[in-house]
Amino acid sequence: MNFLIRGRVALVLKIVIVSLLSAILLMLTQSAFAQREYVIAAYLAISVLILALTYLTKISIPLKFFIPGILLLTAFVIGPILYTVGMSGFNYKTGNIISKTEAIELIKAEGTEASPDGIAFDLALGRIGSEQAILVSDVTNLKYFVSTGKTRTEVNPADVTLNEYGVAIAAPNFTSLDDSELSGADKSYSEIKFKYDGDFFIALEGLETGIVSQQVLKYEATNDQFVNLVDGTLYKDNGRGNYASVNDESTILEPGWRAPIWFENYSKIFTDPRVREPLVRVFLWTITFALLTVITTFALGLLLALALNKPIRGRRIYRSILVLPYAMPSVMSILIWGGMFNTEFGAINTLFGTDIAWFSDPNFARTAVILVNLWLGFPYFYLISSGSLQAIPSELQEAAAIDGANPRQIFRKITLPLLMQILSPLLIASFAFNFNNFNLIYLLTGGGPRNNLDGEIAGATDILISYTYKIAFGSETQDLGLASAISLIIFVLVASISLYSLRKSKVLESFA
Amino acid sequence: MKIWLRQNLWRHLIGISICLFSLFPLYLVVISSFNSSGSLQLTSFIPTEISFSNYKMLFSDPTIPYLTWVKNSLIIAGAVAVLSVAIGSASAFAFSRLQFKGRKLGIQLLLLVQMFPAILAISAVYVIMERVYKFAPEIGLGTQSGLLLVYLGGAMGVNIWLLKGFVDSIPAELDEAAKIDGASSVQTFWLIFVPLASPVLAVVALLSFIGTFNEFILARLFLVDMESRTVAVGLQQFIGGQYSENWGPFAAGSILASIPIVIIFLSLQKYIVSGLTAGSVKG
Repeated sequence: MNFLIRGRVALVLKIVIVSLLSAILLMLTQSAFAQREYVIAAYLAISVLILALTYLTKISIPLKFFIPGILLLTAFVIGPILYTVGMSGFNYKTGNIISKTEAIELIKAEGTEASPDGIAFDLALGRIGSEQAILVSDVTNLKYFVSTGKTRTEVNPADVTLNEYGVAIAAPNFTSLDDSELSGADKSYSEIKFKYDGDFFIALEGLETGIVSQQVLKYEATNDQFVNLVDGTLYKDNGRGNYASVNDESTILEPGWRAPIWFENYSKIFTDPRVREPLVRVFLWTITFALLTVITTFALGLLLALALNKPIRGRRIYRSILVLPYAMPSVMSILIWGGMFNTEFGAINTLFGTDIAWFSDPNFARTAVILVNLWLGFPYFYLISSGSLQAIPSELQEAAAIDGANPRQIFRKITLPLLMQILSPLLIASFAFNFNNFNLIYLLTGGGPRNNLDGEIAGATDILISYTYKIAFGSETQDLGLASAISLIIFVLVASISLYSLRKSKVLESFA
Repeated sequence: MKIWLRQNLWRHLIGISICLFSLFPLYLVVISSFNSSGSLQLTSFIPTEISFSNYKMLFSDPTIPYLTWVKNSLIIAGAVAVLSVAIGSASAFAFSRLQFKGRKLGIQLLLLVQMFPAILAISAVYVIMERVYKFAPEIGLGTQSGLLLVYLGGAMGVNIWLLKGFVDSIPAELDEAAKIDGASSVQTFWLIFVPLASPVLAVVALLSFIGTFNEFILARLFLVDMESRTVAVGLQQFIGGQYSENWGPFAAGSILASIPIVIIFLSLQKYIVSGLTAGSVKG
């Protein structure tokens, strides 16, 4: 073993590993750069540099221990956190997802309208030279012309070949598409505005018809504004990711783009009642849920620990059975509990002969959530309280007994206070963990039941984290900006709870 | 006898009743797995039939690559466990035993970072891996190696923190002695610390194995192919549909997948509990 760590073999091994890793990372850097992912490319390039510097020179010994961890943490934890902080300052939601340049292009493309007189033509798709073109037949006036994105050329009626409906299908210089080309042509041709007359152009409607249309919204790059050419309305950048009408701020052009709105997502949480009210409700339930979970799991765990604190017969068997809920993979057990609470077939209703719609009624759903979490969590507190009970010196209890205290007094005045002192950091940590117990809520109730009619997305059992997840990844609207802002607030809350608990448990003292 | 009753009866009563509470769902899964009707109903406490059709289905139905799912879960969770402990223990060792500038700041930063609820960074992770996919399809979105990297990064904070707690509790005399004998920090780490801490490292590896095995959201977001799924994601689809709940294969699959974990857990219980008290959270 020793030769792997010191000496020539070790040196060669180290150089080989470092160069291999660097080579892979360099390759990735190059392809990232080629794909214009500059931030990722920069990260990879810096990684290579640091790797080589750390392991091939003697620049810093602690860094040799830290580098792999730091690189991973930066890429997959710190990077995403910073990205989340960034997103929270943006109006970044359904309708405002893309960049401004993309949004302008889309508005231009969608800002067209059929001409008021509603003229439509039969046409054939084809090419002039290599340029995409259409051969248009004005059947009523017996006029024919070939049109591309830039030019329109009249064709003498004598030169065209007509089909049975009187639609031109061939003309000089015009190569029509064959069947195999036609099948793939729809998308590329429908994007082209074929020249018609002045501001009017022909937009394809299917493969054989064109409608005379006009550009209604015109982009003026110098003033960064859109003009409605028909009624003259001006649309200006409203600074929040949309072009809004100058006359009426609420009339906006779709789509918008993600625009910086700084702290508005945060202020919305406190000022906008549509955001604040469900959030306050969810927040209160989150606290209730976490508190009730800690209290119930700790109480049951402690009760068990006390009951089994004596070497009674079968204690080992009890212990093995009691930790089973904790040993089972929790994903599986949560899903199973979900099935057990089914109204019609669920084992719970069968067992008690009831007919409760557990997940349709807010209070029953909340009871179910607490109950399942009790099942999942009590073995943990059983294990740690029985461990701590043994850690309390028995002299204290004996001394109290000699002084005439009865068992109840001993428990209340001596055992419990000591136990609480040992376990309080763990109780707080459990609170912090359940505060963010996403899996339980997501897999058991999905946050429901919720009132679908009023468009509310917060359900009765939603906790902050599952609610935020819904805001960010909901099925109808997704508001990544707001979700990020709430995320950071949760982060601050949980961090303060945990820091408080650590301070209490005096871990921080060892920092010095 | 009377004294025995007064002193111990209530202990047994509590023990038995809570044992029933913890066993009930597990018992239900076991009988459902042997029931061919595919429901999770409690028709009677004594199973009316013993059928292996659910188990057979898992291994013979070509549309259910159960063994592949198990293999995927084991590989991903195993790799995360081993790599994250290898990388994490190095950092934990440095935090605990080396003196350097910025050590305190580093610990505080780590503490802060590991408190960020991982679920909330999902959208950012998703966007990043989507971009990585564009230039490196082997490690981007939708691949197991990409998921592995994300898990590794996510496990780092908690694991370093947990391991640091352990390292602090290992007496420093031995590696101080090694230092006096002229060993460098790297040598002390490999030759003294790793052998000394290996039981502890094994427990942390096991905890992150279980944590990764239980992870659901990222796995479902990342692994779209039927063949690349993990057990949890694969099995969930049996009961995910609102009208197509088929509990039989789910129950059978969950039992088979849980047995090894439960056995490991029960046999290493003592060490795991000390690990939990140090880090205080189960993944």
